[in-house]
Amino acid sequence: MLVEDEALVAMLVEDFLTEMGCDVVGPAMRLEPGLQMAATADVDFAVLDINLAGKHSFPIAQVLRERGIPFLFASGYGVAGLAEGFETTPVLQKPFDRGELEKAVRRVASIG
Amino acid sequence: MNVGLGGIRGDAADYEFLGNGGELGALIRTYDWASTPLGPVAEWPGCLKTATSLLLQSPVPIVMLWGVEGVMIYNDAYSVFAGSRHPQLLGSNVREGWVEVADFNDNVMKVGLAGGTLAYRDQELTLHRKGFPEPVWMDLDYSPVLDEHGKPAGVIAIVVETTERVLLDRRNAAEHERLQKLFEQAPTFMAMLNGPEHRFVLLNPEYRQLIANRDVLGKPVAEALPEITSQGFIELLDGVFQTGEAVSRYSEKILLQQSDGRVEERYLDFVYQPIKNDDGEVTNIFVQGSDVTERVRAENHQKLLINELNHRVKNTLASVQSIVVQTLRGVQSKEEASTDISGRILALSRAHDVLTNENWDGAELVDVVTASIAAFAGPQRSRVLISGPAIRLGPRAALSLSLALHELSTNAAKYGALSNDTGSVDIQWDVAQGKEGKTFTLVWRENGGPPAPASLRQGFGSKLILRVLPTELGGTASMDYAEHGLVFTLEAPVDAIHDESLTSA
Repeated sequence: MLVEDEALVAMLVEDFLTEMGCDVVGPAMRLEPGLQMAATADVDFAVLDINLAGKHSFPIAQVLRERGIPFLFASGYGVAGLAEGFETTPVLQKPFDRGELEKAVRRVASIG
Repeated sequence: MNVGLGGIRGDAADYEFLGNGGELGALIRTYDWASTPLGPVAEWPGCLKTATSLLLQSPVPIVMLWGVEGVMIYNDAYSVFAGSRHPQLLGSNVREGWVEVADFNDNVMKVGLAGGTLAYRDQELTLHRKGFPEPVWMDLDYSPVLDEHGKPAGVIAIVVETTERVLLDRRNAAEHERLQKLFEQAPTFMAMLNGPEHRFVLLNPEYRQLIANRDVLGKPVAEALPEITSQGFIELLDGVFQTGEAVSRYSEKILLQQSDGRVEERYLDFVYQPIKNDDGEVTNIFVQGSDVTERVRAENHQKLLINELNHRVKNTLASVQSIVVQTLRGVQSKEEASTDISGRILALSRAHDVLTNENWDGAELVDVVTASIAAFAGPQRSRVLISGPAIRLGPRAALSLSLALHELSTNAAKYGALSNDTGSVDIQWDVAQGKEGKTFTLVWRENGGPPAPASLRQGFGSKLILRVLPTELGGTASMDYAEHGLVFTLEAPVDAIHDESLTSA
């Protein structure tokens, strides 16, 4: 599952994930559709942008956590932008390449 | 009566009453009293002798003024006070001996000989004790000396000079006033807290302003400023009081009650300085400091801006990365890659320009559209018609729409209505009230172009326009390849295109 508010970045990360052999659900590009998706989607892991058009994606992360779905953050803010309770969640600093994404995904989820 | 110059006048027995009278006792023995209204010592009345003997034995400066003339007899201690006027004062009439204060002594004599007493504290008189006039302060006590018949025969005066103490007091007062002024006018806030309860005993106008002019004098800090008790400041004061060590804090956050009852966050630089008594025990704590709230806020704002700028730069780099990576996947040649990548990066750059003009708060749709078709020069530009009401776009929507319009424009120039000399493009938008709120519609309609160009179906452009853009705006997008040319239609809820400012998070 992919949550990313910037069109170009969403397209790129989607491509990366597809190349890694994932079936991508999303992208969700705003908080509300992201929350809906997090509550219902049947996924192995999620990549979350932190800033969604001015709103933080932490509520989405909370839903995923409650459902036991692993996730990681991708953000232009880096580690500095993390909210309380998510300090240990891995953060990919934008921009990143496919290798970095793959490594981070392997850290949080066991995927084929 | 035996009167001989230079020798002891009269019989030694006449002077026995002087006892061991010090320097003055010796001088009295040799003085020519016969030339004064007192007459020779042997003829002095008992009361004069007794009084003289009494004052000679005293360590306190005493002078006796005898008879209506006020003939002066004094002791060693008084001779020190008299300075260079001694020994000429001995035996002289007081109004002549202290000619510069004759009026003062005239009153003394009148009151004293009438049986009255006089007492002065720190009385200032100008005396010529060193050959020039100088102010002298004294405690003066006058009382009458009675003769055998109970009638006042003289006046006895105890003279204690207080000049040194008076001048010291004045210097202290001046110093105190100077400090008080400094305290009142200081640009920093200051207060003095007394005792283990830290009671306010002193505070300057700056401090009063800090605490919204509350009446705190005489109250313990915890009672005077109840809102700070839970913020650790009382414990800090207790620590200074117990250890006697000063404490400094910089940019310390404090929540202080304002005059309207609201509690406001302020930032202070301050020092708690213990004041100790002679035994080294802390009695007071001096509080001094500055309200640096504005500085701290400016610093925080700057940090926020730098952080935001960094975020924006990283996102832009990620966008450029996306353009490069994805463009390279769909092209046939290096030349095509170069042209497409440049075009897309420039489209992104133009969108940034539009947003920067508005401080990244958003943009007018007409500006976004105009910037997107700005690449067309001359006759081509005139074949693009735009129309629609004024609509405000959020920064995210503005960026995505700019990129989408760039893709449509490039496609039109390569394969569509702008690839020949006669085609045109009509860009129209509108807002209409629908069942679920207001809907925004944008239509890109090409006319007079070559039929059925379908290359937009694959690749970067089509993915952006047909999938990502409608996803972002929570709407739908469709592409029709009509006989007259391509028609692109985007529909989205108005709320989605008014996304919030990027800096608000």
